[in-house]
Amino acid sequence: MALTYRSFSRRRFLGGSAVAVTAGALGMPFVHTARAQAATFKAGVITSLSGENILGGNLTKRGYDLWADTVNEKGGVEVAGERFKVEMFYGDDQSNPATGADAAERLIVQNEVDVLFGPYTSGSTIAVQPICQKYQVPMISGSAESPNVWKAKPEFNFGIIPSVDTTSGLSLGVLAKLSNPAAKTVAVIGVNEPFSKETGEGFRDGVEAAGLELVAYELVPPEGDLTPVISKIAALNPDVVAVGGHEEPLINVVKTSKSLNFRPKALIMHYGVTNPAFAEALGADADGTTGVAVWLPTVPYKDDVFGTAQEFTAMAQKKSGVEPDYTEAGCAASGLVLGDALKRLGKKPALTPEDRVALKDAIAETDIQTFYGPIKFEKEGNHYHDNIQPVPVLIQIQGGKTVAVGPKEAAAAPFTYPLPAWK
Amino acid sequence: MDLFLQTLLNGLLIGGVIATFTIAFQLTFGVLHVIDFAVGGWVVLGGYLGYYIVAGLGLDGFVAIPVAFVLFGAIGYLIGPILYNVRNSRTARPELMALALTFGLFTLLRGGMLTAWGFNTRTVATALSGESLMVGPVTVPLIRVAAALFAVMIAGGLFVFLYRTRYGLAIRATAENRHNAALMGVNIRRLSANVYGLYAGITAMAGVLMGAIYSVNPESGLRYTLFAFFVAVLAGLGSVGGAVVAALLLGVVEAYVATYVGSSYSLLAIFATLFLVLLISPRGILRRGL
Repeated sequence: MALTYRSFSRRRFLGGSAVAVTAGALGMPFVHTARAQAATFKAGVITSLSGENILGGNLTKRGYDLWADTVNEKGGVEVAGERFKVEMFYGDDQSNPATGADAAERLIVQNEVDVLFGPYTSGSTIAVQPICQKYQVPMISGSAESPNVWKAKPEFNFGIIPSVDTTSGLSLGVLAKLSNPAAKTVAVIGVNEPFSKETGEGFRDGVEAAGLELVAYELVPPEGDLTPVISKIAALNPDVVAVGGHEEPLINVVKTSKSLNFRPKALIMHYGVTNPAFAEALGADADGTTGVAVWLPTVPYKDDVFGTAQEFTAMAQKKSGVEPDYTEAGCAASGLVLGDALKRLGKKPALTPEDRVALKDAIAETDIQTFYGPIKFEKEGNHYHDNIQPVPVLIQIQGGKTVAVGPKEAAAAPFTYPLPAWK
Repeated sequence: MDLFLQTLLNGLLIGGVIATFTIAFQLTFGVLHVIDFAVGGWVVLGGYLGYYIVAGLGLDGFVAIPVAFVLFGAIGYLIGPILYNVRNSRTARPELMALALTFGLFTLLRGGMLTAWGFNTRTVATALSGESLMVGPVTVPLIRVAAALFAVMIAGGLFVFLYRTRYGLAIRATAENRHNAALMGVNIRRLSANVYGLYAGITAMAGVLMGAIYSVNPESGLRYTLFAFFVAVLAGLGSVGGAVVAALLLGVVEAYVATYVGSSYSLLAIFATLFLVLLISPRGILRRGL
């Protein structure tokens, strides 16, 4: 018995050794090839590729990928007269900030990325920031909009989209000015999660400056049913209802309002409305919904990589089949910031830890014009490292399409106000 | 007073909606002794079926309800014996193995839907979507009424089936004592397959309604699983009648707290209710749980 076991073991050992030696020998050329190809910049994307924010997560991924693909087609990022391709690595935060931090650490330690592209949600962005700080790896966030991201004064994180407190309050003012007869009262609903809550707070804080009166401010849990809160607001009959949330709660606000036969004179939401999936899910019921955008395919900006905003739109649409919104544009523009900073830095891959810190300093000095608009990061104050250059535009869904309705100089169509009753 | 009545109605209807996907969940626990984590997956599958029937065939969302029962009932019938085998295997802690299996099934369903249908949020259009009726000062959303009626019909139907038919007697006997039922000639294996099929079919039907009331995407399943579990614990695991009462109670608590205290406290109130009921009556609200 013991003999059988030993001979079996020896055979296995010999067999195993033979396989290992053969595999090693076969593997060697590949190892060499891998080393020969190492001259690429490595960028890590952390975003929600599963979980409740999967829609937005994929939107950000599309934007980042579009830049990488476009720049790689041109031969790569230009540094000191040479071109280096960009290799993308992905980390899924599973719509959970803590998982996002783990994913970032994995990208930095295992994949040895030179730079990170930030998550879709502000919650994850806030969780990933300390990881960037710990490993001294710069991150460019093409999506995060919560002011809390920038209040923390993140040394290594940079934001492309203006913080929501600079946009949501202002947009209420624009709406109030456009409304005829003038809107007087407003009720605010905020979904109780980062970004959505701060959007709600932005609306709430902008009420006074807009010359309106706040009749209700409600924070709702993301899992909750909306009928109680909509009924309560309907009883107060405000002229304007403002909602801070991601796409799913926004869709449910419209559906619940309709099922309770309540339609305010104006319904304003922040992000999500500009995403074509919103209008697609709601069909005709989406019409009249107002939103805020910091970029539209019609803006008059351009750059060397994507061309004009219209050319960028056509490119993105060809790739994904849907019109890009401002988050996708912001993510693509993040790549432009990286490309510009790498060019100015003049260091070839792979970057050393010191190079990465220098890259962070180079990003901080960004001052460029892109298809997305001007990009320049704040150097102090509550919006530290955020790009607050873009001016918010009030948009409205009309006939299933997103059109700019205000301020007057940016308007492409008249603002529909008051909204007609539900059919 | 108008708002008070409206809130009561909202609460009862929220309860009715939750009850739709909880009733059959309870039946499965009663018979198979498995807490089916995949309940949210069946709900979402039903929702997608509704969406594709509306978007692809141009039919009304309600058409999807019987289709969902037949289609997912058949799939559930095939999965039932696997679950039964795991639950009655000779491994240590088969109840935990079964729980892990349903969790795996849920993950598989979620990932499969994500791969097959993408991540966009969809809704199911029905003849009653967005329609409402004014009764005095109260607005009655008709699609929710349809869901509540569906819950009542399913609960009533199950009651008649379980207490007035021979096969129902066999199910109850199995729930009470599997070994004795087998000795009396009940084919437990087939019965388990039938019950799981019935459950998957009913839950997917509820899913069509969820897609019409809210919206559907592959990630929304977890929410339904959690609520089904809350209601099941409050009702007493395995109690079908208790599920309806518990769902209504949770709905009314959620509605009143959201309206008069603040929406941000509604989940807190739900958990407090759950905690209190477990403290006072661990076998559930009607004291009929296992």
